[in-house]
Amino acid sequence: MKLLRLLLIEWRKFAPNITFRVMVVLYVASFTLILSLARLVGSNFKLTANGQSCNPTADLFTYPKNWQLLAWIGSWPNMALLGFLGVFMITLEFSNKTLRQSVIFGLTRKEVVMAKLAWVIMLALAATVFYLVLGMIGGTGFGLPSAGGLSGFFLQAVGYLLLGTLAGLLIRQTALATLLYLAYVMFLESVARWIFYFAVAKTRLLLFLPEQVLSALTPLPVPESVGPMTRGLALPLSLMEASLMALLYAALFAALFSNRILKSDL
Amino acid sequence: MPLLAVNNLAKNFGSVRALNGLDLTVEAGQVFGLLGPNGSGKTTLLAVLLDVIRPSGGSFLWFDNPDETHARQRIGALLETPNFYPYLNAEQNLALVATIKHVTNPPLQSLLELVQLSERRHSAYKTYSLGMKQRLALASCLVGDPDVLILDEPTNGLDPEGMIEVRHIIQKIAAQGKTIIMASHLLDEVEKICSHVAIIKNGKLLATGAVGSILNRQPTLEVGTADVEKLRLLLSGQTLVRKLERMGERLELELSPGRLPAELNRLAFEHGIVLDHLVLKPSSLEMEFLEITRQ
Repeated sequence: MKLLRLLLIEWRKFAPNITFRVMVVLYVASFTLILSLARLVGSNFKLTANGQSCNPTADLFTYPKNWQLLAWIGSWPNMALLGFLGVFMITLEFSNKTLRQSVIFGLTRKEVVMAKLAWVIMLALAATVFYLVLGMIGGTGFGLPSAGGLSGFFLQAVGYLLLGTLAGLLIRQTALATLLYLAYVMFLESVARWIFYFAVAKTRLLLFLPEQVLSALTPLPVPESVGPMTRGLALPLSLMEASLMALLYAALFAALFSNRILKSDL
Repeated sequence: MPLLAVNNLAKNFGSVRALNGLDLTVEAGQVFGLLGPNGSGKTTLLAVLLDVIRPSGGSFLWFDNPDETHARQRIGALLETPNFYPYLNAEQNLALVATIKHVTNPPLQSLLELVQLSERRHSAYKTYSLGMKQRLALASCLVGDPDVLILDEPTNGLDPEGMIEVRHIIQKIAAQGKTIIMASHLLDEVEKICSHVAIIKNGKLLATGAVGSILNRQPTLEVGTADVEKLRLLLSGQTLVRKLERMGERLELELSPGRLPAELNRLAFEHGIVLDHLVLKPSSLEMEFLEITRQ
């Protein structure tokens, strides 16, 4: 009951907001559009060898790899749009001083934290349900995704939302926080990882950095025809490893967020 | 038992001591003014009491009850400038406040009528004038019919008409028997609205009590005679006079409580001094305030 009230508070704040609505529409549209484009390109992709033509990516569009491909496609709007929503749900409050105002109105700091975390979970659940619906409507194969695949997509959505939330809380300005968030997930971590890899140590531990972990939750499926060529390359994180690490990171981000809200002046 | 008990409250912002061991007690039903110059710590005190700022030391207790959630539901507050979601209208913003305060079916229409905003209830908050924003903030304080209202400079930035409107609303609320804690640097406002007052400067409590006892309205007398110095020497040893100051060829003095200007005139005459100037000047509230804050 308490959680429902907190979710209702967040819903009343964000549902009428234009930016929030645009982001939701963009998420739905971009996810659908990228899937359509992938299917269009994939279905027309032909390789000809010894007079025989074949489509080496065909298995990506059939069960069970179609779900993996869809999850990988979804990882882009997850990273860009859900991350931005994470930033925005905090910076909107700071730019209007409404987080402080909510406490003045009578929300306790604990309730502020719980409301935000519950809202993150709700948005991630909504994204996962959309992933499921889109796969069932637009998929080419039969069957449901594996539990691991589904939970991986959900955890990734939670992870990006929380990472964005944390960026918003630390920077407090939408443009700057979004820039920093996107820079981190798109190249800062990769650059740092490669510098460390070549200059300090070639360790697999570098795969356990936040963006690496979140990406590993929805890996790009490898077509059967390309499989043999990938032998000998560094092993990515397994779904189990990535899921456990994502849970740890989610807990860490949530703890940092809670600590900041509970202890600092608003 | 007090409605609010503040005990040795302190707040530091770096090397700045915004609150410096402040003690305060507010009883139910009081309209309590926090009076002090800008930067004296009034808003910091209210922000600490509302939990938006963490105190560096000391403690406070609402309703003699340590249950924070329970206490906060009984308080309506306006701190500094009103902050609402700019894209939501008055009704949506108040509905959000009602959800925060666990209020189902709040009487939004009557609240908006009370603050004269019912005609603009569907307009986005960002389109409101400062006065309208302030009035919406007052309405938000009343959601859930709280026992206590905390108002920080409620007429700040308003034009004279807006100030009168807001004061009128506060007086209406006070007439309902609610406890109001109001910070202001406007003496006139405190005198018109409050029953009790605490004077704060540099985060310290200088004086507290009923408005009449703290802001003493004893009038000032301005007297003149041919030999001002002789009159000054005569009066300086008398219990009739509480304060005495020579201002050029005049003396400015304040009589002890209950004493009359006629007694002064008689005393001077009995000592061979004829007053050629005796003017009763109403005591300036500002002077009283300045005197306390100069201590």
